[in-house]
Amino acid sequence: MTIQKQKKIFLSALSFTLKVALGLLFISPLIICVLFSFQPEELIGKTPPTFFTNRPTLDHYRWVFQNISVLSYMKNSLVVCFITITCQVFFASLAAYAFAFFEFPGKSLLFTLILASMMIPGDIVIITNYAQIQKWGMTDKYIGLVLPHLISGTAIFLMRQCYMTLPKDIKSAATIDGCGDIGFLFRIAMPLSIPSVASLSIYLFILIYNQYFWPLLVTNKDTMRTIQIGMAMLVSSERLEYGPLLAGAATCILPVVIIFIFGQDYIVKGMTAGSVKG
Amino acid sequence: MKERSKKMKRSSLNRVTPTPYLLLVPTLLLFAIFTYYPFFKTIFLSFSVTDKTGAFSKWVGLRNWVRVLGKESFWTTVGTTLKFAGLNLVFTFAIAMFFALLCMNKKRGSKIYEVLYAMPLAIASSPAAAIWLFLFRKESGLLNYFLGTAFAWTEDASVALIATSIVTIWMHIGASFIFLLVGFRNVSEELVESAIIDGAGPIRRIFSVLIPIASPQIFFVLFLNITNSFKAFAQIKLLTGGGPSNSTKTLIFSVYENAIINGRFETACVQALVLFAIIFLATRVQFFLEKRTVFYQ
Repeated sequence: MTIQKQKKIFLSALSFTLKVALGLLFISPLIICVLFSFQPEELIGKTPPTFFTNRPTLDHYRWVFQNISVLSYMKNSLVVCFITITCQVFFASLAAYAFAFFEFPGKSLLFTLILASMMIPGDIVIITNYAQIQKWGMTDKYIGLVLPHLISGTAIFLMRQCYMTLPKDIKSAATIDGCGDIGFLFRIAMPLSIPSVASLSIYLFILIYNQYFWPLLVTNKDTMRTIQIGMAMLVSSERLEYGPLLAGAATCILPVVIIFIFGQDYIVKGMTAGSVKG
Repeated sequence: MKERSKKMKRSSLNRVTPTPYLLLVPTLLLFAIFTYYPFFKTIFLSFSVTDKTGAFSKWVGLRNWVRVLGKESFWTTVGTTLKFAGLNLVFTFAIAMFFALLCMNKKRGSKIYEVLYAMPLAIASSPAAAIWLFLFRKESGLLNYFLGTAFAWTEDASVALIATSIVTIWMHIGASFIFLLVGFRNVSEELVESAIIDGAGPIRRIFSVLIPIASPQIFFVLFLNITNSFKAFAQIKLLTGGGPSNSTKTLIFSVYENAIINGRFETACVQALVLFAIIFLATRVQFFLEKRTVFYQ
């Protein structure tokens, strides 16, 4: 019996170790990026490669922070994320509240319109949107960077799903107590939806922080570039040195990896809401 | 009492007020301006000649469509797009499936490897491109070193598409893994246990219990990977720039190239609409298959 038990513990420890090893192999590009970003340039180009150097250096990071306005890019990315997330959460809450708590003529038509808009991927209309933003003179401005992304079908679905779980009787009770429609939304529904708002926000953060195509189109000035575009400039620069490139990549992914590790449960909820029924 | 509350609920729901419409104004306005209007404008411009900024200058009917669809290079681009999507679909799905099956049972510490399997989904295309360009180097590149090959991965037309696929697959496995894992964990333990009692082995359990019950998620993941491949732009731009000799030029890249670099806006519109048609068709196929085969609990 004890031998069997020992065998079981041994097997589960073995399976755990193997699964973690497989995971580390899978993210090995990230590990390699971090390890090599601390190596002097002449070591990076050597075969066979050295993985652990005994003379690590911060030179590449110093170079990146001195020659590239990383902090300004990072600030732009964070401003764009903040505006986009705030607006999406707010507008989606309003829409979700209308769909979850009201019956009104045209409701199903309007809901279908929102559903159908999800059939048109943003990348299909990106060029036409760019022409519009350019015509309005909004390139190289925060407003141009965020405007087409202030609402999304995903956000509406997630918030609607959350509001539909709130019992309808709360609303009747609140109405009897003299709470108006808007008061109910701000004083009762929104506070109750904070876990969903957290999921949506973290999910959107990863999405918006990692945006590439749109900011590439609408930013020309260096002072308006987001971190992804700044990073891309480094990738496609003429004299490509791998040390600074890896240091830049490590800097760029650090915030999002931290958020990912601590907010994984929220991200899963944000991703899976509204996309799969069943 | 119950009767009364029901009645009251109905009356409060039925009262027609402008409130719900007002609540929907920002949403509908934004969708109208940045989704519907540009979509119809794209259709309109595909039948016109435009200037470099994308403004309408002349109506030309079907001429753009005939010109674009008649070019052999366009169909090569469509072919590359489909090949790229196929490669990504098969490998992303297979690996994500494998990871999800490994993680299916919640155990102590399973969070640790779950985070690792999902992590690349948080990595954006530009740092991913930077890291992989480093791994793809011909001289002293780590991938060549470990595989014992000597490819110039991103500069050799015979492997460049595979190289962009590797990066895309790596970035997209995480999302598919999460969806599949959610699907598999929906399967109740009693069901799995009764299958074990009935003598179903592990392989049989996967195919007869897990896959049928997780089929909504499986369909979703298949579809997600197809559309993600069609929309993959950044990694292609940064790794290969559509080259060498157009071997990695997909439709979305061609749209960008025509609109922004060549200033041929109307051509870009036609190509964007072809891309839309392909994605739309893929969704229809998905819905059709889902209706016929999905088993909802």
